[in-house]
Amino acid sequence: MAQRHSVLDRYLGPLNGPHTMGRGVAFWVGFVIVVAVLASFPEYMRRYDIINLSNFLISGFLALSLSLLWGYCGVLSLGQAAFHGIGGYAYGIVALNLFNAHGNTDLAFFAGVAIPVIFAAIIGGIMFFARLRGVYIAILMLVVSLLIGTFMRQTADPSYTIGAAYLGGMNGLRPASVEDPLLPSLIFGWGETVIELDGRRPAFFYFVLGLLVAVYLGLRCLVNSSYGYWLVGCREDPNRTETFGYDVRLIQLGVFCIAAAIAGLSGVLYTAWGTYIHPDGFGVAPNILVVIWVAVGGRKDLGAAIAGAIVLEWVSLRLAAEGEIAFLVLGAILVGVMLIAPNGLGITIGDYIRRGHDRAIAWVRAR
Amino acid sequence: MEAAAEVFSYAYQYFDNIGFLILSASGLIIIFGMMGVINMAHGELMMIGAYITAFSYHAGVPAPIAVIFAGIGAGVAGMILERLVIRHFYKQLLSSLVVTWGLSLMISQGFLLVFGPTILNVPTPFGNFPVSGQTFGIYRLVLFGSALAIVATVWAVFTFTKFGTHARATMEDPDMADALGVNTRNIYVLTFGIGAAMGGIAGGMFALTATISPFFGINYTPLAFITVVVGGGANVITGLLSSVMALAGVQTAVNNLVNVYVGYVAMMGAAFFILLLLPRGISEYLERRKIRTERNGRGATA
Repeated sequence: MAQRHSVLDRYLGPLNGPHTMGRGVAFWVGFVIVVAVLASFPEYMRRYDIINLSNFLISGFLALSLSLLWGYCGVLSLGQAAFHGIGGYAYGIVALNLFNAHGNTDLAFFAGVAIPVIFAAIIGGIMFFARLRGVYIAILMLVVSLLIGTFMRQTADPSYTIGAAYLGGMNGLRPASVEDPLLPSLIFGWGETVIELDGRRPAFFYFVLGLLVAVYLGLRCLVNSSYGYWLVGCREDPNRTETFGYDVRLIQLGVFCIAAAIAGLSGVLYTAWGTYIHPDGFGVAPNILVVIWVAVGGRKDLGAAIAGAIVLEWVSLRLAAEGEIAFLVLGAILVGVMLIAPNGLGITIGDYIRRGHDRAIAWVRAR
Repeated sequence: MEAAAEVFSYAYQYFDNIGFLILSASGLIIIFGMMGVINMAHGELMMIGAYITAFSYHAGVPAPIAVIFAGIGAGVAGMILERLVIRHFYKQLLSSLVVTWGLSLMISQGFLLVFGPTILNVPTPFGNFPVSGQTFGIYRLVLFGSALAIVATVWAVFTFTKFGTHARATMEDPDMADALGVNTRNIYVLTFGIGAAMGGIAGGMFALTATISPFFGINYTPLAFITVVVGGGANVITGLLSSVMALAGVQTAVNNLVNVYVGYVAMMGAAFFILLLLPRGISEYLERRKIRTERNGRGATA
């Protein structure tokens, strides 16, 4: 028994801790199986399903970002999709301008992550250092998102161009003139090597899956490190955390920026996936969707949030075939889950499994 | 004469914007200020009011009575929501925010399913009056007057009636009020119902000037919320009035100088700026200053 745990600790020590569910052998075996099953999908599923599944995984990033921010640090933002949109637009604008010169989208990828972080640092700096109350921050972020959306919607005038990129109002981002390149999907270049990841091909799916696993594991390390304890401290009792000598404002600002980076990454992937970005991404619907995924999955666990995003995206796709009931059902799911399992279904189910597991072990030992 | 017309036009727009903000925010401020719950479904309660008004009007009911129907309908809807869902989320600010947002999604999508995306219209009553060549709608002035009347009525109800005393006691200390024989459960339901009814009345009155669709309410909730937080919770009435006077002033000025979108952004920017200076809202600041001057005054006499 002691032997096995030390092996786990040696290799997975930084990944395991009190702030994430699942730390035993069973969990990690299950994790590897789930990832392997996902990775095998392109072998036998239809291309259409793989394209959709890529999009679900992209939503997983957005869910991760809100889970980190709201579930771990207690800072709710009702406008998390704004960073997704900003990242997507930043990627698109830089890619349209530099693609002819560089032949790759390296800088655009970087810009799509960096620009949301800069935006988050400015607006978060103002909000956290003014010590605004949590509710105000939540709704102000929604207002910010709606305002950006309103602005982007009225950019149909041809004067709204940034170099080779024309903002295009309701029609979404597009090239400014016929000579300019179309919005490219991800193309990484390193010297002579060029890797093209077309959003409709399995390679893109593998890339997104690999990146999602990497970000998930990275965030697990983060929330189980001492930084994770600071975050949870800010969530549980900001005054006490402050009394212990931590600057709550800086911790909140830091996590706000990390969450913006991950949301921006999801925006980059989304734009590259569909080679398309439009102002609807800043509206009420995408923002509320993120909150629904995270609240229903379980905000206090990274994995539960991803699972919530993927499952509910699948449910909405299914419901879309039945007419316009998708949002009604999702709203009902949200309200129902908040009433029955306030911590989210993923976490409630996880707790049941752990209790059953512990009981089984106790039973085996008693024999 | 030209200048006088200009001044009148500005004043007219200013009071129009004030009336608009008061009506949007008054129901929300009751629920937030007294119960500490932010009701993200407020805009949808207004939408319910707008639909009731439109349907009753087209069924032949006179407009003022249709608006009263709207208040009753939205009030009942609010009480049902309170009993079924919202009462489980008192004292949990962020969760109440999320759950009421879910309710708002359900209500607007439910209306979309039942009534479809078609837009309803109700003609604006009362006609126009001219001021040196320009015409102004009389109904806008009625909106402003009704907004003030609503604020005055609510203030009177919560100040002079037995229900008001019980309600304020419950909000101050629910356990103590309960121990003294106040039926706090009913107080919560009724207060929420009054807030919802005010939203319904506002929605009904806006229905006479705006087009009505299932997404009628979406734009009002953030606006109402901004008005409420700028006012602050220390004193509901002074908070609301000072907040709408400041925000409507910014909006009116920038609307005329630039355009409506920039006016809206400027109002949001002003709200943000006020919150940075006074994170607890204007009324908290006024209240503190009043206490300070009172204390200083007593110190001087002693």
